[in-house]
Amino acid sequence: MNAFAFASPAILAALAALPLIWWLLKLTPPLPKAEVFPPLKILASVLKREETPSKSPWWLTLLRMLLAATVILALADPIFNPRVNSLSGEGPLALVIDNGWAAAADWDRRVRTAEALIDDAEASETPVSITLTAEPNHDATAGTAAAARERLQAAEPKPLVPDRARAVAALGAALDGVRPGTLAFLTDGIAAGETDETVKTLAALQPAELRVITGDGAQAVAITAAANSADTMSVKISRLDGSNPLTLPLSALDTQGRVIANGRADFASGQTVITSEITAPLELRNDFARVSIGAGVTAGGVHLLDDAFKRRRVVLLSGAGGDEFQPLLSPLYYIQRALQPYADLMQPTDSDLTVAIPKILASNPSIIVMADIGRLPEDTYAPLSRWISNGGMLLRFAGPRLAGAPADDPLVPVILRQGERALGGTLSWSEPQKLAEFPAFGPFAGMPRPSDVLVNRQVLAEPTPDLAERTWASLADGTPLVTMKRQDAGQIVLFHITAEATWSDLPISGTFVDMLRRLVQVSRSGGVTAQESGNVAVSQTLPPWRMLNARGILVSETGSARPLTPDGQTVTLAGFDNPPGLYGSEEGFTALNTLPDDTELKPLDTSGVALVRENLIGGESWSAKPALFVIAFLLLLLDSLIVLLMNGPLPRLRRTARTAAVLALAIGASVLGQPGELRADDSKPGDVTIMERLDNTHLAYIVTGEDAVDNISERGLAGLTEFMTYRTTLEPGPPIGLDLEKDELVFFPMIYWPISATAPMPSSRAVSRIDAYMRDGGTVLFDTRDQFTPFGTAGSTSANGERLQQILANLDIPPLQPVPPDHVLTKSFYLLQSFPGRYSGSPLWIQDRQETSGAAKTSANADGVSPILITGNDFAGAWAIDDNGAPLLPTVPADETQREYAYRAGVNIMMFMLTGNYKADQVHLPALLERLGQ
Amino acid sequence: MASIGQIVDQTSSGDALTRARQRAALVPDCMVEARRIANTVIAGWHGRRKRGIGENFWQFRPYAEGESLSRIDWRRSARDDHTYVRDREWEAAHTVWLWADMSPSMMYKSTLSGVSKESRALVVMLALAEILARSGERIGCPGIMEPVSSRNAAERLATALIHAPMTSGLPETAMIRGLSDIVLIGDFLDDADAIMDRIGPLARRGLRGHVVEIADPAEESFPYSGRTEFTDPETGQKLVSGRAENLREDYRRAYYARRDALGESLRRLGWNFVAHRTDHLASQALVAVHMYLSGAPPRTFGGVPS
Repeated sequence: MNAFAFASPAILAALAALPLIWWLLKLTPPLPKAEVFPPLKILASVLKREETPSKSPWWLTLLRMLLAATVILALADPIFNPRVNSLSGEGPLALVIDNGWAAAADWDRRVRTAEALIDDAEASETPVSITLTAEPNHDATAGTAAAARERLQAAEPKPLVPDRARAVAALGAALDGVRPGTLAFLTDGIAAGETDETVKTLAALQPAELRVITGDGAQAVAITAAANSADTMSVKISRLDGSNPLTLPLSALDTQGRVIANGRADFASGQTVITSEITAPLELRNDFARVSIGAGVTAGGVHLLDDAFKRRRVVLLSGAGGDEFQPLLSPLYYIQRALQPYADLMQPTDSDLTVAIPKILASNPSIIVMADIGRLPEDTYAPLSRWISNGGMLLRFAGPRLAGAPADDPLVPVILRQGERALGGTLSWSEPQKLAEFPAFGPFAGMPRPSDVLVNRQVLAEPTPDLAERTWASLADGTPLVTMKRQDAGQIVLFHITAEATWSDLPISGTFVDMLRRLVQVSRSGGVTAQESGNVAVSQTLPPWRMLNARGILVSETGSARPLTPDGQTVTLAGFDNPPGLYGSEEGFTALNTLPDDTELKPLDTSGVALVRENLIGGESWSAKPALFVIAFLLLLLDSLIVLLMNGPLPRLRRTARTAAVLALAIGASVLGQPGELRADDSKPGDVTIMERLDNTHLAYIVTGEDAVDNISERGLAGLTEFMTYRTTLEPGPPIGLDLEKDELVFFPMIYWPISATAPMPSSRAVSRIDAYMRDGGTVLFDTRDQFTPFGTAGSTSANGERLQQILANLDIPPLQPVPPDHVLTKSFYLLQSFPGRYSGSPLWIQDRQETSGAAKTSANADGVSPILITGNDFAGAWAIDDNGAPLLPTVPADETQREYAYRAGVNIMMFMLTGNYKADQVHLPALLERLGQ
Repeated sequence: MASIGQIVDQTSSGDALTRARQRAALVPDCMVEARRIANTVIAGWHGRRKRGIGENFWQFRPYAEGESLSRIDWRRSARDDHTYVRDREWEAAHTVWLWADMSPSMMYKSTLSGVSKESRALVVMLALAEILARSGERIGCPGIMEPVSSRNAAERLATALIHAPMTSGLPETAMIRGLSDIVLIGDFLDDADAIMDRIGPLARRGLRGHVVEIADPAEESFPYSGRTEFTDPETGQKLVSGRAENLREDYRRAYYARRDALGESLRRLGWNFVAHRTDHLASQALVAVHMYLSGAPPRTFGGVPS
């Protein structure tokens, strides 16, 4: 085996030229400069002392000779252990090649081995028959070596278990009784199935010589099963050769192919099948997309995981705007904290629900959580309902808004009684309630009864016959706490309490986390679409989405793969029609793995047959050519370095460096010297208007479209602006009329909206924008401009009142109350007891403060500013002045004091808008007074 | 790269004469000191501004005891009680031999200077001739021209040079008789010992000599670098230096050592030594020689130790 040969020995004759090269090298390189020099005798006396190498030193010559010799040797291409081979010439060469998953690791060497055999066959002019075992079609007819080579080049390892029986049968049929000369079986060495008779069958063809050529197949390792247990993921691994102990890295990858967890497979000596574990937190395991062993170079060493491991997407919606300064009061805070480890949380960026809901439905969530949303925009009911029917879960939490909402909401599982039930109040005999045992059905079954949870307040369901079976949790007195309703494939779940800790301590208990987690597990994984057609059939066909190739890589090329039709009973095995990979779509897919679950790798049975064993070529014979060339190149580098050092290039280098430095300086100066600054112009249309409106506070009113009304509004706000400029430090800019359809509303602390029955009804989009504005913390002052507003009372209503009711019907508004005598509005600037305008008969309605319930301050409007004010006193009419400052309209009754009070009411309202409730906050008053006194 | 040094054609003595006159015009009349005036004095016409033998009155001085009574000027002495002696101004002429080396090595001219060494030597020689002739000295050139005392001696010397080109090597000294001055101009690149062997007999014959060494700046500073082949213009001998810049220090040391040795040897003989570079003004050399001829030691010029 220690043979040594040259591929092209003729080139060695060039070694004879070495003396010539030596002579050439001896010549002194450059011609000297000729100089006449009279004091030559003096110079000669000096020169004698210096050793002047007029020719290269001997060692440099030797180095160069060595370089030349190395190049000549490299060109002669010396090869160690050259391959000698001889084929039996008695019949055609038959090649049977395994191209299953285990052959992928050393496929190149297999191809080279087969090529070498084909070359030998070509030299002896023997026909070649080539059969690949993992192909769907076999053509084993003996042909020319060139044709066989072409087929070999086209062949690729397949991510499949080779089907040898069919291949051998095809070979037998093609030979048709002719005895093959050499039959070479390039096998991966893994038995297919329990008993593999391939070798015996091959021997039955009576070849003159049977060679079994094995490669690295003996090192094949495969993952045959993966399961998610409580804390770890257990992975079953099988290997072929169990003789030596072996440790392999085990890695779990996410959908992007990043390694997110690692494990180790430790095989003891003699062990072929082991179960190892990857320890990772649940949320990390949810992200596992596949598990691979070793370097993962074969399809068998990769195990694909499907939807069972995917996390649910949960969308959070809240009726109250988020307040980043008081996160603990935000209803979504506890849900977020509870669900973060188990689900992908999403929150819409748009507070306008008509925009936000279609957006979130487009992202196919599993669960939509709505915390205290009383009324949804009209347009959103249909798509939401469709989404639920397709399998979505709507999880709602109660709150003041839901309690005040009309009872006929289809997206509430039970019929709710108007208002809420308070337990343990001052005038109540009932105590705060604890939770009862969870019922035996439903997702909460089996959870321990929490003893530390108290419920103070809840919404109540109207009793219905099936209420008990739709109740998943109830209070100790039997009132339902969590109710649900099925709607086709989906369900609606309602918690009768708020999601924050104002109504109960459930959200701050561990039980809440468990309850939400169980609900998420109940929900449908993989997302739900809101499409019309989406009645998901059980017998669906899954198109191929991502295919696994033989080297264990997922590719999007599906090739000839057919759709997978899972029927639920039989397990589909990977085959030619359904190669391993992911079937389905990005939203949901099923994984099909190369090896059936719990396969064991067994060596191929070759007993009882006379055969020649060989190894793949490529490992033992190697060419010294590249190494020699590298050595020659290094010698060349060394020589260049020596010549550089001998000739002293430094002065020249220095000059070059100087030139370069000057050049760099010049370029730098030209760059820096460019006059002016260049900036992109990123201004957009409307920027000027926005800047103007942001610069100063402006009063704003809604343009109704009726000139008379709009003129009074404009003049009225102008009058109030002037009054405030005169009386207070607030100096607003000129009033601005707003078009609800187009204008941006967020710049204004308050918008005045005169209701006019004759004006066109605002579109639903406009109302939705007003809704979003109020949710973001803005305030709308509705003015029906008729003294006799019967708002909230039975009886006849005026035309403007009816219009107001129509508008409010589409708004998500909190409960209202007339301004109580101790409200901040009565003392925010002036001390007032009434809020007159042109008329003085109508009360001013504001949001119900709910101060009786203690910490009921919502975060909806920072500082408790009411999002809505309603009056019928025609404020603008009283405020309106002409250009000379004289009032436009008389008050009713004509009393200038009343006009003064109307102005004061306007100032108080504006101060309330801008300063919030700090005037109500009298806790520190004694301290403040004391400080003022000093 | 063009070579630094080159061999140029011999300068015509006519051109040199013109330039020599220009230089000579700048130098005041030369008064050769004649300490040992004795025999060589023939008939000078130029006053020496000292008392001595001559025709013109110089000064009256009191009579000193022991002087010849015949020297007393009685007319002057009759005016008062003292006796005076009339001194006359010394008027004398002197023979100065001029000689310039015209060997091939003198034809060398480098890019660092404007003229070849030979040209400079010729100019200095003719300028000296002009100055000395102006002073009434007798000018001669060994092997070429017998000493003449004539106002146009420089011209005659130039004419003689045209007809009889100078030979290389040190001059034929057969025609030099008696005590006189000799000015040798050349590059003196031979060994100091070889030069001294030739000069020594002259000095022993009582000649007072002035040696002017003309050097090219390239020979002093050795501005060569890189691989260079040096050729001797006289012998044609070649020398190749691998890295000439490495030799520079050694060469300069050897060069200056040779010059110092030569100058020291000459001084020991009582001769003067002037080193001159062709990139300096010819007047510098001229003035230096002039001062030596006048008997006053010159200041050093050009920073070159001499």
